Order: sequence, then C-alpha cells, then structure tokens
Amino acid sequence: MENLLNKLLKYPWLVLVVFVILTVGFFKVMSSNSRMETDLDEYMPQNHPAFVYSNQAEEWFSIKDGIIIAIENQDGIYNSGTIQKVKDLTKALQKMKQINKDDVTSLYTADNIIGTEDGLDVKAFFKRTPKTAEKLEQLRTNVRNNEMIFGRLVSSDEKVTVIIAEIEDDVFSQEFYQQILELGNSFQGPEIIHVAGRPIVEGTMALLGPADMKRMVPIVILVIILVLLVVLRSFKSTFFTLLVVLFSTVWAFGLMAVLGIPIYAVSTMIPVMLIAIGVADGIHLYSHLHLFLIKNPDATKKEATMDMIQGMWKPVAMTSVTTAVGFISLLTSQVYPIKYFGLFTAFGVMMAMVFSLALIPAGLMVFGLPKWKKQEKNTDKNKSNFASTFSAKIVKYKYATIIITAVVIVLSITGIGKVWINSSFLEKFEKDSDIVLTDKFINENFGGTSTLNVILDSEEKGAFKNPDILEAIDRMQQVVDGTLQVVGNSFALTDYLKRMNKVMHADSQKYNVIPESKELVAQYLLLYEMSGDPENLWKVVDYDYKKANLTFQLKSDNSKAINSAIAVIEKHIPELEKLNIELKYAGSGYKGLVFTDLILKGQISSLLLSLIIVIILLSIMFKKFIAGLIGSVPIIITAIISFGVMGLLNIPLSTTTALLSSIAIGIGIDYAVHFLERYKIYATETGDKILTSQHTMQHSGRAIVFNAVVVIAGFLVLLFSVFPPNRALGALVSLNMFTSFLGTVTIMYLLLFVSNIYFNTRGLKNHSERKL
Amino acid sequence: MKVKKLQLVLMAMLIAVPTLIFSQAKITGLQIIENVYNRETGNDSQGDLTMSLINSRGDQRVRKIKQFVKDFGDMEKSIMFFVSPADVRNTSFMNWSYDDAGKDDDQWIYLPALKKVKRISSDSKSDYFMGSDFTYDDLGDRHPTEDNHKLLREETIDGENCYVVESIPKDEDYMYSRTVVWIIKDKSIGLKKEFYDEDEELLKTLTNKKYEKIKGYWIILSSEMFNVQKDHTTKMELANVKLDTGIPANKFTERMMKRGLK
Repeated sequence: MENLLNKLLKYPWLVLVVFVILTVGFFKVMSSNSRMETDLDEYMPQNHPAFVYSNQAEEWFSIKDGIIIAIENQDGIYNSGTIQKVKDLTKALQKMKQINKDDVTSLYTADNIIGTEDGLDVKAFFKRTPKTAEKLEQLRTNVRNNEMIFGRLVSSDEKVTVIIAEIEDDVFSQEFYQQILELGNSFQGPEIIHVAGRPIVEGTMALLGPADMKRMVPIVILVIILVLLVVLRSFKSTFFTLLVVLFSTVWAFGLMAVLGIPIYAVSTMIPVMLIAIGVADGIHLYSHLHLFLIKNPDATKKEATMDMIQGMWKPVAMTSVTTAVGFISLLTSQVYPIKYFGLFTAFGVMMAMVFSLALIPAGLMVFGLPKWKKQEKNTDKNKSNFASTFSAKIVKYKYATIIITAVVIVLSITGIGKVWINSSFLEKFEKDSDIVLTDKFINENFGGTSTLNVILDSEEKGAFKNPDILEAIDRMQQVVDGTLQVVGNSFALTDYLKRMNKVMHADSQKYNVIPESKELVAQYLLLYEMSGDPENLWKVVDYDYKKANLTFQLKSDNSKAINSAIAVIEKHIPELEKLNIELKYAGSGYKGLVFTDLILKGQISSLLLSLIIVIILLSIMFKKFIAGLIGSVPIIITAIISFGVMGLLNIPLSTTTALLSSIAIGIGIDYAVHFLERYKIYATETGDKILTSQHTMQHSGRAIVFNAVVVIAGFLVLLFSVFPPNRALGALVSLNMFTSFLGTVTIMYLLLFVSNIYFNTRGLKNHSERKL
Repeated sequence: MKVKKLQLVLMAMLIAVPTLIFSQAKITGLQIIENVYNRETGNDSQGDLTMSLINSRGDQRVRKIKQFVKDFGDMEKSIMFFVSPADVRNTSFMNWSYDDAGKDDDQWIYLPALKKVKRISSDSKSDYFMGSDFTYDDLGDRHPTEDNHKLLREETIDGENCYVVESIPKDEDYMYSRTVVWIIKDKSIGLKKEFYDEDEELLKTLTNKKYEKIKGYWIILSSEMFNVQKDHTTKMELANVKLDTGIPANKFTERMMKRGLK
C-alpha cells in the first residue's frame, strides 16, 4: 500500500488529471441520469405482511389519500355564489386528468338519502345552483337532516364546506401539486379556499425540504471553508480537503446514476455523512504534515509528503474501512432506500480515502507545500502546552471524569426511554406555517384530515349482512368516536344501514339503529343499489359481504394519535373474534407508522451489528481485544447521548433522525482510530506514558478538535433553516460531532491510559509512580 | 373517337354515382332509430332474467329475477320478483313508464322483511338499473326525439349488414355526450352500441350476443354491457320467454307485489 502510494507520488499530474476526468464523467452521468423518487410507496418494503395486506385492502375498497379543499364563507355557505363555487370547483377537479371523476366528493356529488311520506328518495342535494332564498333554505334543511353529510361535508356552523378529491399514490407530481394550488387560488374571494390533506402535506414536504437544503448547503460549505481556512491556515489545504468531499459525493451519486438507482429522500443524507466524515482525512493528513514541518522546517516537499503518507496511510485506511463496514451493516435493513444509503455512503467513504491518499499527496507535489504564517509558532506552543495540561488534568481528575461521564450516560439512558417514533408529516412543519394552520382549521370544523382504515375480514359469505356483526361494528365505532378526542368520526356500512332504516321509518330517530334481520339488511342494500350509486357501497364492503372497511377520521397524523386509536380498537378484537371476524389495518397513515417502526428497528439492529463489527475490526487492527473495546467507547457514548438528547428534548425519531445515529459510527471510529494509532506509535517511540499522552493529544487531539470545529460550525448553519427537520439535522450532527470528540479525548483517553496497553508492565509502573 | 367515348363514360359515371348514393341514403338516422324504438315486441312478455354483475377483480354476483311486462298503449308496466339470492327473495319492483317524454317513471319497491311497499323516486333517467351497468335509458326507454341522429355509414359486422348511427342528445347536461349504434338493417335490432361520457371519452360498450325470433318478434336474449372506465360488466340473460300470453292488467299492482312468487 505504502509502496503504491509512493509510486503514485512520481506521477502527481497524472493522478490529478485522471481523477478530475473520472469525476467529470461521473458528474455528467449524474446530472443526466439521476432520477428523484417521489412515490412514497416505493420506499416501503413491498413484501412486508403489513404492507401487502394494506395494499390489497386499498385495492379492494379503493382506499386513497384525499386532497381536501375547504371553502369558507364567514357569512355562511348557503348563498348562490358559494354553492356555485362548490359546483364549479367540483367540476374543475373532475376534469383534471389525474383525478377520476367518481373520486371527487362534495355537496354537489353527494347522495342525499331521504325519507318521504310514502318511501325513499335518493337524489343529489342540488343539480342547478339554487338561486332563491327558499331553495337555499331547503338545501340547508336537507343537509342538516342528513347525519351522513352534516359535520362531514358541511361544518356544523355552516360556514365551511369541503370537497374531497381522492387520488392514486402514483399520480402526485410537482406539476399536479402546483395545478391544485393554482386552482384553489383561482376560486379565492370573497370565500377563503383552504387546501389540505395528506397528498398536499407530502407534496409540500417534498418541495420544501430539498429547496431548503439547496439554499442552506452552499452556506454550510462556505462556513466549512472559512473554518477550515482558520484551522488549516492554508488555501491549498482547504481546497484539497474540500475537493476530497466533493469528489467522493460526485462519485457516490454518479455510481447511483450509472446503476440506475433513483435518489430517495434519505439519499440526500449521503452528502451530509460525507461532509462530516470526509473532511476528517484531510485535516488529519495536513495536521500531521504541519507538525512534521514544525519539527523539520528544512524538509523538501517530497520528504514531507512521504512522511505524511508513511505516518498516516494506516489510520486513514483503517478509519475508512471500519466506517464503510459500519455503513454496509445497513444492508440488513428491510427498507431499500436505507440499504442504498448504507451502500453508497460506504462507497463514498472509501472513495474519500482513495482521494485523501492519492489526491492530497499529488496536490502537494504539484502545487507545493502549504505556506503557514510565521506567527503561528507561539500559538502552537500554547496549543501543545494546552494539550499537555489537558491530558494531565484528565488523568488527575480521572474520578471526576468517570463520574461525569457516568452521570451523562445515566441521564441519556433515561432520555432514551422517552424517545418516541413519529411518522407524522405535518409535525415536520413550523407550528405557524400555512399548511399546519389549514390542517388545524379543517380539523376544528370536520372529522379530521387523517384516516385510519380498519379492515374486517370474515370467512363467511354475507357475514356483513348479519345484524350481530353489524351491531358489534357500530358499538366499536361509538366507543372509539366517543372516548378519543383525536378521533373525529367514523364511517362504515353501518352508517348506510342506520340511515336507510331511519328513513324507511318516516325519519324516526328510534330507527337510527342496525336493522333487526339479515333479510332486511340485504333488502335495504338492494334498495340502495337500485336507487343510489352502488359504487359508494364498494368503498365500505366487498361484493360478497365478506370484508368490510371501517374508516376513522383522525385530527392528527402523529403516531401517538394513531396508536391511541389502535389501542381502543384492539379492545374490541375479542368480541369480533367470537363472531369469527379478523381485524387488520390499512391506509397510508398506518403504513407510515409501520414503516417508521421498521426503519427504527432496522437502525437499532444495524447499529448494534456495526458496533460488534467495529470492535472486531479494531481488535484485529490493534492486535488487542481491549483496544477494540476502548475504541468503541466514543461510538457508544455518541449514540447513547444522541438518542438520550432526543428523548429529553422531545425530538421524535423519524426516518432522517434515526439515520443520524450512523454518524456516531462514522465519526466515532475516525476519532478513536486516529487517537489509538498515534498513542500506539508514540508509546513504542517513547515508552513513556505521560509523553505519549502529551504527544497524542498534541497530534491526534489537535486534528480531532479541528475536525469537530469545522463540521460543527458548518452544520450549526442549518439551525437557521426554515424547515424544522433540517434544523434538527443540523443540531444533531453538531451534537454527535461534539460528543464524539469529547468522548475520545476524555473518557476514551482515560481508559487507554489506565488500561496500560502498549506499555510493558514494569516500565509502566515506574512511570506511573514517578509522575502521578 | 376514343376521347369522346371516354368523355361519355365519365359523364355517365358523374351522373350515376351520386344517384346511387342518394338512392341508398333515403333512410335517415332518425328513421332508423324510430324503427328500433317502435319494433314490435308483443303486447306482453314474461321470462326469467339472470343478471350477472362482474367487477374489475372478476368477483361475480348473480341475481335471478322473474319479470312480467305489459304494454298499455300510452304506458308500459313491468313487475319483477327476485328469486335469488335467498336473502332478497320475493323483493319485488314495479315500474310504470310513460310514452310522454316529459313524464318521469313511477317506481315502487316491496321489501318482504319490512312488509311494506315503498315508492322510490329518482332524480333522472340516468339512474342505473338495479346496480347494473345499464341505465333505464340503455334498456330502451329513451325516446328518439330526445337526440339528434345521424347516419354515419353502413358496415358489415358478424355477417350482418348494419347502419351505423350517431346520436347526440339535445340536452347538453345528459350523461352521455353521444352514442354510436350498429343496427341490423333488416331486423331493426341493435348489435352493438358505444356510449361516450361528458368528456367525449368512451364510457361503455353494449353487445347483444343472442337474439331470436319468438312468435314473430325479434327478442334480444343475451346482452353484455361493459363499463370501460370502471372495468365493470353486466350480463343480462333472458330465458323461458313467453309472449302475448295475455297477462292480466291487475298483475301490475301493489297487491301483487306483496303476494310474491309462490
């Protein structure tokens, strides 16, 4: 390896040109072939039983996510202007090519099942817009008398009415999203038009997140450049350090494009990882070079570069390989985007290693050594003094260090207990953002913007015509609606039957119950099919009456809300089981919940797996098992504190925040390996524990501080982001960098010191007795 | 000489060709449709109707119905009794439709579990017939004067010479923007019909699969309506058809609805 690197030194121009050409090639492929994956279903593991079932159920009952357009008129909706808008907007939505005509529900399309003196009438609420006060009043009365519509399509204060347009998962595009928003806007005034619903939330998120990143990343890089300039004190060094990060990112995305793998939302985390991890190699290399030149001011660039390679290629290779293996452990995840994330980050890390070991030396050979300013000598002295005192203090106050670490860890572990998963999309937005306010507004006036589908499955044909079963469902609906604030209302076959029964008995409230016989149920249903739109029935029950779909409307898409509803629903399972009915869940909200859970579990298991792999690798590299254990300390501390802080600060785990624990591995290994390697070298060089400590702190400790400062400064910029998940990202990356650094130079160093590895026992005793 | 002969031939063709076309195009679209509408099917009829509803997943529901129809001159009355499925047996349905284009049908339903006859009224004739893909209009209820008809061409399908007629409703709000029908020239029976929705897109296709001459009348015994947009199919099959048996007029009353099948 070293030989190869030294050989490369003879052809620095060739190295530079080859890498630049290859990078330009990857860049071209990347910019022409990359494809962003926007269909969230593509992220889900399609063969997971919960998804398979949910997808099936969605097909059985055409369960789709709905775009909700609310029309608000402070003077009430019952005037011909507003009613006309309901009609026009409904028709405009029906005409859109992405929306099936039958999937638009509004006061204009809804069926009104009403009882008359001598029978039943199923008709539209209106066809031509009512113009006279009398007709408008009639419409108001009809809506008020229909509990299937009142409170569902028209708010109880009669100031808001909604139009719901259900869409297929795969039709959503940026263009469609814009069209919907423009359509809503064109109907604005004097009525206020609100647009909400899960597809809109997803759309806004898909738009806002990357847009915010696009704005923030250049600033992050700029800050990193500035801080790099301050710590490395050289343009050339800064330039090549950044070039390593840039090239590795381009290669990772370029390879993805070559292999035809689309860019998923989590893939945007790859550059984040590569920036945090990639700058480390450069900093450590230049830092080593700098120290060498301070000691040997007259060395030629070739001598200096060769010393740098000789001294650093091993730790750089070791850190990169262990980090890459850590990321490759993500292949155990069931979620494809995460597998790809792990794989390509690992590739990027390995490439960063190649560039660091080939490009940086080549750069030194071609452009000469970095020129440091003269007055640095003093500050460097101070720094080396500081490093010595720091290491001495840590050893002196070792119990304090251990106790503080223990306290922090205990605190963090209590925090971990509070960590909760949130699959909510809405809570990713600012509390006062339009999208959150609109959602809140609709939730206040209607059942809810989120849905949970409960699928009831029986082996028996015609089961859902059985009054006993229907009554059990009705009871469950009433209990869930009644006990939970977060459940707005529910909708099922029972609602049709109760309405029909009431209407067929001269609108008597006494008959607002499930019909008493199976025959009557069957005959009502036949009657409904003959007079209404039978398509509506197939959204709540299947052809054979063997399966039924019960929809709960929730006022929040947050995981706690869905779980609280599920908890109450589950209590009804024994009763349903007695009736031979199986209960399962479906719908995008539920899938999101399962998905997040899956990511988290995968993340935790891959974190544990990679920890084991890292311990083994470190043990092999340093030829001592104890070294492997000590080397894993920064990783463990970083991961525990990271999760602990999330729990204590009530930051929920989501797909992005869960992935951040990978950073703990990447950074933790870097710091541990560099520190261990230096410690080992100085130990053999000096044979003196105190000197070793001082030198290591001055060499590795210094580079580690630089690395942490650079990345922390860069990512703190994200705190000014307008998109809350990006803010959490910035804060957590910074926190992970900080704890990794602190863990390495304090507790890991202390463990290393007291463990006495790399010192023969006798010599060590003398030293310890003498110095301490 | 030669040139003159050619000129003569040309002249003869110029005269003859349009004459030929006109002689064949004497019949108008409206006349063709009226012939179908007014085709004699007997004074009364009865039979066993099997209606199969098939959804996009291939799930099938079968309903067996015994039906009676009688022509009263200015109106037509029909009564149907459900034979199966068992839970709706003896549910009956009565329809009176009037020749007067402005007058809506009267409809009653008898639910044996409720032991009550109820009137059902619906908004328009676009309503689907018993949850099938047929509307009442599709079943032959629509009066020819409600549309503008145009004979598009003549075509031979399934060995039958057909007129192809396009009908565009006079009412712009009607559920179909247009229909195209293939009518067998010598039988005045529709063989195939295409229905286009408000957006001019194909909505449904109707195919008549079996027709027979019974007691001198052409009767359609099997037809299939396929809703292209919903991927839903309705098959209607008529068996044991008896015509002109002299069904008494009092068969079409609420009392008979309640009595049901024996």
